Amino acid sequence: MSGKVQSSTPALPSDQGAIPQTGGARTFWGGLVASGVYQSFSTALLSSPKRQFFILAVFPVIWVITQHLGPMLQMFYVSMVDAYPVAPSYENSFTLDNYARFFREAIFVMPFIRTLVFASVLTFCTLVLTFPVAYFLARHVKRSNQMIFLLLLLIPFWVGEIVRTYAIMILLGNNGAVNLLLKSIGLIDRPIPFMYTGFSVSVGIIYLSALYMLLPLYSALEKLPKSYTDAAADLGAGPWTRFWRVTLPLSLEGISSGATLVFLISTGYYATPVLLGGPSTTVFAETIAGFFHTAGDQWPTGAAFACLMFITALGITALFGRFMTKLQKGIRR
Amino acid sequence: MTRNTRLVMSIIYWAFVLYVFMPLVLMVTMGFKDSKFIGFPIKSWTLDWYLGVVQNSEVLSAFGYSIWIGVTSTAISLFVGIWISVLLNGKGFYGKTLIYGLTLLPALIPGIISAISFRIYAQLWGVSPGTGAIIWCHAVHNVPFVVLIVSARLSTLPKSYLDAARDLGADPLIAFIRVALPYLKPALIGGGVFCLLISFDDFVRSFFLGGYQPTLPVLIFAKLRSGMSPEINAIATVVLVLTGALGIWAERSMRRLNKGN
Repeated sequence: MSGKVQSSTPALPSDQGAIPQTGGARTFWGGLVASGVYQSFSTALLSSPKRQFFILAVFPVIWVITQHLGPMLQMFYVSMVDAYPVAPSYENSFTLDNYARFFREAIFVMPFIRTLVFASVLTFCTLVLTFPVAYFLARHVKRSNQMIFLLLLLIPFWVGEIVRTYAIMILLGNNGAVNLLLKSIGLIDRPIPFMYTGFSVSVGIIYLSALYMLLPLYSALEKLPKSYTDAAADLGAGPWTRFWRVTLPLSLEGISSGATLVFLISTGYYATPVLLGGPSTTVFAETIAGFFHTAGDQWPTGAAFACLMFITALGITALFGRFMTKLQKGIRR
Repeated sequence: MTRNTRLVMSIIYWAFVLYVFMPLVLMVTMGFKDSKFIGFPIKSWTLDWYLGVVQNSEVLSAFGYSIWIGVTSTAISLFVGIWISVLLNGKGFYGKTLIYGLTLLPALIPGIISAISFRIYAQLWGVSPGTGAIIWCHAVHNVPFVVLIVSARLSTLPKSYLDAARDLGADPLIAFIRVALPYLKPALIGGGVFCLLISFDDFVRSFFLGGYQPTLPVLIFAKLRSGMSPEINAIATVVLVLTGALGIWAERSMRRLNKGN
């Protein structure tokens, strides 16, 4: 039995092959390993640590480069040519005109700025809204109950963009629940037109992205030892001082990652602004999408606009991240 | 003092729960309204809209199509995600951080950009919009989530388990399949269901990469553009119930399995 021999060199992969069975009971795996096909496969691919690592690494590396990075690179390439997809006889040429078009035509600038403003303001609103919730979950709920309380919030967030956007339409419509409630109290006699305004889009986006803020905040606050705030209280700090000087500074990391996620994700919503918004709330996602509904000759412009938005959004989050790191360092000192 | 803060906090929490559930509850309720016209108050009730959904062949085929896309793309994501997790949880190598960053990239790209970049990329490879393109895009988009969930579990696998398997004569591949894979089961259930739900509920990618056959969210969107109707409420409610049930089941079985180990 070769297994005994191998045990002396456990770190080295076996070139003797793997034959665990003693001859009597043959399992499925034993049979497979003993088979000639597997033996030749094993000696070809797994015979040395170097080969093993190569086999392990080559597929993921190829995958992330071609599948994760590839679409981005191709989009970047398309954004700098004059026509795509091209007819067989046509040779496309390099141009920056797609980018220039953004600055030339004023109708594109407004949605762009609106998207960034929306995303920033809504990120802040989401933070203010979810912070107490995360704090309550992490600090006031018994640890054994935390998962259930969290799960209660998770369930609605599993449901997709469309269904939840539709739910908001019913809530805010002219005959919706909010208007009905206000009317029955007697606050209004004509329905307030919530729908197709910046307000409805905001409610929709906050509703969709609150979880991306809540989870990082929760995990940051959960790690914060209760003794810190207790110590602050012993030293005479009131609740506000404790919050501003202890809790908030120590949850900056969670705030930072939550805000980054919400900001990036909320620039990418398409169905929500289409369904909840009107002509005065056109966001850049709709502008970009417009170039892909029509014939292919508009693709390069759409790609250029998408690149512009993604790079700007990444730039803003990078700046924000640097600011937050500085803030954290400043507090530690 | 603390009792007061606690009370305020719990009020805020329950208000948030209400905010999160209210629209969905209203949506479900509206599906029972006995009128074509969406809006409150509801004067008479009916089950017709819900019964209609079960008989509507358009909805049923979109439903089946969404499930098919979800299951296939989840299978691909799991396979790729597990492989990448094993690489990233193994020994260090040059460029590991870069590979890790690239792995997470699809989760950070805003939806619309992800969708159109794949529309362009599919064109490059000669893949026309349709089932294949949607599955492909969903699979790529879900890989980061699988990697995050599986890595979390894989990092808790005691190294001695694999060493023991190797001592008993298993080569690395067999040791992985027979020791690590069973250990990963809760993560695979959790990650798999998570991917399935994301794929099933995804709109923007399916919308830009889809052919003539709509997935369920795309069908709901198309119906919404031509006006709200309690029929849509009924369809959306079915989606809601299925999503919730599957999610809760996954959460429970994940916790049970995690406890067992």
